[in-house]
Amino acid sequence: MRASGGPARRSRALSNALLLVPPLPSPQRPDRRPEGRLPRAATRPAAARLLAPYAVAIGGAIGVTAAIGVITSLASVPGLSALYVLLVLWLGARWGRGPAVAGSIAAFLLYDFYFVPPVGTLTVRGPAELLELVVLLAIALVTSQLAASLRRAQAAAEAIARDSRALYELATATLRANELAGGLEMVSESATRLEGVDRFAEVSIVSGQATQLAGSPLTADEIKQAQWSFDNGNAVGIAIKDGQVVPMKNFGPAGNTAYLPLRSGVVVVTLGATRSDPGALRMLAALIGLSDLLLDRQRVALQAGRARELEASDRLKTGILSSLSHELKSPIAALRAGLTALATPQAGLAEEQRELLTDLDHQATRLDRMVGDLLALSRLEAGVELEKEPHGFADLVGGSLHQLKTQLEGREVVVRIPEDLPPVEGDELQLGRVVTNLLENAIEWAPRDGRIEIGAVARDGRIEAWVENDGPSIPPADLGRVFDTFWTRRTRGTGLGLAISKRVIEAHGGTIRAENRRRGPRFTFTLPLARVVV
Amino acid sequence: MLVVDDEVEMQRALRTGLRYHDFDVRTVGSGEEAVREAAGWRPDVILLDLGLPKMDGFATLRALRPMTRAAVIVVSVMPGEKDKVRALDAGADDYVVKPFGTEELVARIRAVLRRQADVTSGEPVIRSGDLEIDLARRHVSVNGRAVHLTPTEYELLRYLALHAGKPVSHTTLLRQVWGEYAVGDKYNTRYVVAQIRKKLGDDPANPRYIVNEPGVGYRLEG
Repeated sequence: MRASGGPARRSRALSNALLLVPPLPSPQRPDRRPEGRLPRAATRPAAARLLAPYAVAIGGAIGVTAAIGVITSLASVPGLSALYVLLVLWLGARWGRGPAVAGSIAAFLLYDFYFVPPVGTLTVRGPAELLELVVLLAIALVTSQLAASLRRAQAAAEAIARDSRALYELATATLRANELAGGLEMVSESATRLEGVDRFAEVSIVSGQATQLAGSPLTADEIKQAQWSFDNGNAVGIAIKDGQVVPMKNFGPAGNTAYLPLRSGVVVVTLGATRSDPGALRMLAALIGLSDLLLDRQRVALQAGRARELEASDRLKTGILSSLSHELKSPIAALRAGLTALATPQAGLAEEQRELLTDLDHQATRLDRMVGDLLALSRLEAGVELEKEPHGFADLVGGSLHQLKTQLEGREVVVRIPEDLPPVEGDELQLGRVVTNLLENAIEWAPRDGRIEIGAVARDGRIEAWVENDGPSIPPADLGRVFDTFWTRRTRGTGLGLAISKRVIEAHGGTIRAENRRRGPRFTFTLPLARVVV
Repeated sequence: MLVVDDEVEMQRALRTGLRYHDFDVRTVGSGEEAVREAAGWRPDVILLDLGLPKMDGFATLRALRPMTRAAVIVVSVMPGEKDKVRALDAGADDYVVKPFGTEELVARIRAVLRRQADVTSGEPVIRSGDLEIDLARRHVSVNGRAVHLTPTEYELLRYLALHAGKPVSHTTLLRQVWGEYAVGDKYNTRYVVAQIRKKLGDDPANPRYIVNEPGVGYRLEG
């Protein structure tokens, strides 16, 4: 029976380990290793320690015999042999079965020798005397058994209390450690100090990237295996059952490496040749739980950092594009302001000169459009965030029609939007740009007396919108190319309007296509419905 | 009028162009000078570029607003609507994106001046096409036909009417109609504007009265 050996020894080992946990706010890693695996509790020679209780038992029996002798020499007191019962009870409770039995036998022999007639012999007469021996032995056995189980229960309770305290302190220390890897290292070290645990390593897996964070270094193959275990959610070798690590039945010989996938990583454990006791396996499970917590925290911290980086690079992109926009547009602004100033009749220039200035202003405007389109395209390609909100599609169309008012003068524009059309989810300005681009394209191609139609319907949980005109069909070979960057059918187009539209629509999770109807081309695009109803 | 722009070419072009349209024009190159000029010379209109060195356009606008009743038209090469909203909320009367033609700019200046005259005249009835808003009687009609609006709808329309022709941001509308707590919830303005349009018989795809200012807010046609 190892009742008092296992848990007590383990707890001492763990408490020892805890002495190495650094003072709480200190960020340093516990790099001081304990000397030796386990400190030996015994300091006296083992044999002496083992025999002492027996000496006490025999000595006790002699003492009680002497006491009985003294009492009987003074007065005749019956039933004094009951004093032996007291001795055996005490021996059983204090030292356990062996000394109690030894004490019983010694007591029986001494009593028989000194007090049972014929005095001076060890003769046993009749069953009554034998019964006395049996009773004494029975008391010795029962008492020692009771005492032993009580001691065992107490030891177990103490072990659990110590384990809990140790775990609590380890958890607090690791969770407060400034560096999560340091916390993981503490857990790993505590685990390898457990009986039967040879190795304990923690691998973090964030966005599919496996990195070992603590424990003795793993080989590339082992990390690959850890990754596999994580990807498939498959534990190899061990499982946790009822708060305890359980080696799997089919798990090979000792020294094999086990993999246990957690929420944000994998714990890699090698169990040694010595079988771990249930307490150690329970502690191991608790340490794995702590690793899980720390690895998950590591993932969250990493992802938060990445989000900050992304945001910063987004700001940088926006900043570069803004200053580029300023640099490119300022000269055009001065050009246009100057040209249009001179083109006003009040400037007093001849008609011919004014025409020339107006032509130049148109060129400057075209240049401005191109710069604007290029910047818009780079902004889209840089992946600057869209500001998605619910918008009525009719509102978007209204904004574009208003913007194109002068160009639409005298044109027939038909708007077909059902009044109960649900709102779309998207960036108002970007979607407005798409509608404006498509309408401008239609204005470009539709004959002067032709008709332009814009409309939308809700279909299959999306909005399908279209813009069509009565202009010439797009050659079938070009249908797939119209959305390419810089592709244009016009001599004066930038070739960017439709490319931008395609990117905007796709950034919203929609699709856009060009087709020919019987009378002229049609552009159709889809947009997601808003989740919130306006 | 006062033109505030740090580029000499732009200053010269605007001075020339605006003088042809009979404006009395002075140009300065910085916010500090603009504040000095506005205090001494008292222009009716200030054309303020947002991208000024040192004291930027927004700081200049904040400094100018309490000391002058001049209409401020903000000018910028940035098509960013956030700047537009910020400038309008900081007290700008209109916003023009560079590059622009002289004719376009003159039209904007005249509109701002007209609006200013209307406001100072204290006319109690505001018209936008067939729409008539009688502020004294809290009465709204289209083509002489009375339109019944809820108090919220009326407040929103009244605010747009008081600033007819000027783009009003969602933020300003939310603050003026609902109060500070509602700022940020643009669904409110969108919903109420949709209701008003319905009652006025206005088509959102081709609005006659309340026009969308994409990324900014709404404007009542002057």
